[in-house]
Amino acid sequence: MHHLVIDRWSRGTSPLHQCDPRAKLAALLVFLIALSTTLPPAQGAFAAYAILLLLAAKLAHLPLRGLARRAALVLPFTATFALLTWWSGDSLRALALIEKSFLSGLAALLLVSTTPLTGWTAALESWHAPRMLILVIQFVYRYLFVIAEQAQRMRWAALCRGRGSFRLAAGLVGVLFARSWQRADGVYHSMLARGFRGRFVPSPLAPFHAIDALFLFACLAGCLAIRILL
Amino acid sequence: MHIPDGFLNTPVWATLDVVSAPAVAWVARRAQRDTQDHRIPLLGVMGAFVFAAQMINFPVGPGTSGHLVGGALLAIVLGPAAAALVMTAILALQALIFQDGGVLALGANVFNMGLAGVAAGYLPYRLWHAERRTVAIFAAGALSLMTSACLALGQLLISGVPMRGGLLWASLALFLVNALMEGAITVAAVSAIERLNPEWVPGPRPASSRTLAGVALAALLLVVIGTLVASAAPDGIERLTAAGVDSATWPRSAIGGVMGIAMILALCFLGGKLIARRRSA
Repeated sequence: MHHLVIDRWSRGTSPLHQCDPRAKLAALLVFLIALSTTLPPAQGAFAAYAILLLLAAKLAHLPLRGLARRAALVLPFTATFALLTWWSGDSLRALALIEKSFLSGLAALLLVSTTPLTGWTAALESWHAPRMLILVIQFVYRYLFVIAEQAQRMRWAALCRGRGSFRLAAGLVGVLFARSWQRADGVYHSMLARGFRGRFVPSPLAPFHAIDALFLFACLAGCLAIRILL
Repeated sequence: MHIPDGFLNTPVWATLDVVSAPAVAWVARRAQRDTQDHRIPLLGVMGAFVFAAQMINFPVGPGTSGHLVGGALLAIVLGPAAAALVMTAILALQALIFQDGGVLALGANVFNMGLAGVAAGYLPYRLWHAERRTVAIFAAGALSLMTSACLALGQLLISGVPMRGGLLWASLALFLVNALMEGAITVAAVSAIERLNPEWVPGPRPASSRTLAGVALAALLLVVIGTLVASAAPDGIERLTAAGVDSATWPRSAIGGVMGIAMILALCFLGGKLIARRRSA
C-alpha cells in the first residue's frame, strides 16, 4: 500500500531527514505562503519554486518520479476546476491553479517523506497545538491501515457471497464499527497493562541546532528572493 | 470537497485559519473534559473507522454508488466536541499524508467539514431525536454534507474561481443528491450499529438546552446561505479578487498572510497556555 512508501521514505538518513522537524514545518509554511501569494502570470517564479523543491528532494535522496506520482493525486480535482477556469476564458489562471496545487502537494509530501509522523506531531506539540488533537492524530494514523485492510477483506468476502445491496453495505459498516469499538477496548487494556496511568508523556524533541536555523533561513531567503525578483 | 492549496486567495484562507485554530483549541478542551481515559484510544480508532468505512460502496440505483462521509455518524456516536476533534485529525492527516486538501487550506477544510459539518450533523439529531428518530438521523447526515459542500463552494466563489450561473445550480443539485444519499446511508449505518449494540448510539446529553440547539442550527443555516448569496453576488467577487489578484498589491497580500500565520501561532499559544493553566488548576 501507499502508506508503506512514505513510511519507508521518512526513515532515511539524508541531511534533510536529520533536520529538526520544527525547522522543516516552518519552512513548509513559508514556502506555501510564498507560493500562495504568487500571482498567475509569474511563470518564472513557478519554475523557480519547482527547482527549489527539486533541490530539496535531491538533498533528501528521494525518488523524483515516485514523489511526482504521489503529488499528482491532487490533479483530478484541480483539473476539473482548471478546465472550468479555462473555459471561462482565463487560461493563465487555469494554468496557475494546476501549478500551485501540484507544487503545494509536492512540498507537503517532501515534509512527510523526510519526517516520521512522531516528528511532525512533536513539532506541532512544541508549538502548543492541543495535546488531545495530537493524540487523536497519532491513534488514527496507527490504526488506519489495520482497519482499512479489515474493511477491504470484509468487502471482498461480501462480494464473493453475492451481489451487493444497500442493506448489506450498511451491515458491513455496522460490523466494522463493532470490530473497531472492540479493538479500541483492547488497545486501552493493553495500554493499562503497559503501565498507562491516564497521562501521556510529550514526545521528546532534539535541541534546535544552528544547522536547522540555517536551513530555515535558506528556505526563507530562497522564497523571498523568488517573490521579489521574479 | 477537500479544497487543495492554490484555490483560495490569501484573505480567505488566512481568515479561516485564524477562525479555525482557536475553535479547534476550544473543541479539544471540551473533548478532553468530556472524555474519560478509556475513550482516548476510542476517538483515534473511530477516526480510522471513518476512513475505512468510506471504502465501502453503497449501491444506489443502476450503476451508481455512494459512500459514507461520516461527519454526522461521528457526531451522533461520539458527541459534537469529540467528533469535531476526530474530523480535524482526519483532515490534518489527509492534507499532509494523502495530498487530499491543502495545508494552508486546512483551516477552511476544518471549518467546513470538522466544525460546521459536525455541528450541522449534531444539531438536527439533538433537536428531533426524541420524537422522530429516523428523520432526525436522516436530516443530520443530509444537512452535515450540504453545509460542508455549500461552504466550500462559497469560499471558492469568493476566491474568484469562476462558475457561471447554470453551473452553480448544477453543482448545488449535485450536492443535494449527495446530501440525500448521505442521509440515507447514515440512517442505515446507525440502525445497523444499533442492532449490534444499542449502547453504542447514546442519546444526546440531556443537559444541553434544546432551544439553544434550535437557535444554533438556524444561525448555522443562515451562515451557509449567507455565504452562498454573498459569494454569488458579482460585486463581492470583484472586490475580493481585485484585492487578491492585482499584481501591484502582492506585498500587502504577503504581509496579510504572514500576519495571519502570526495570529494563528499567537492564538494557538494562548489556547495552549489556557489549557495548561486549567489542567494544573
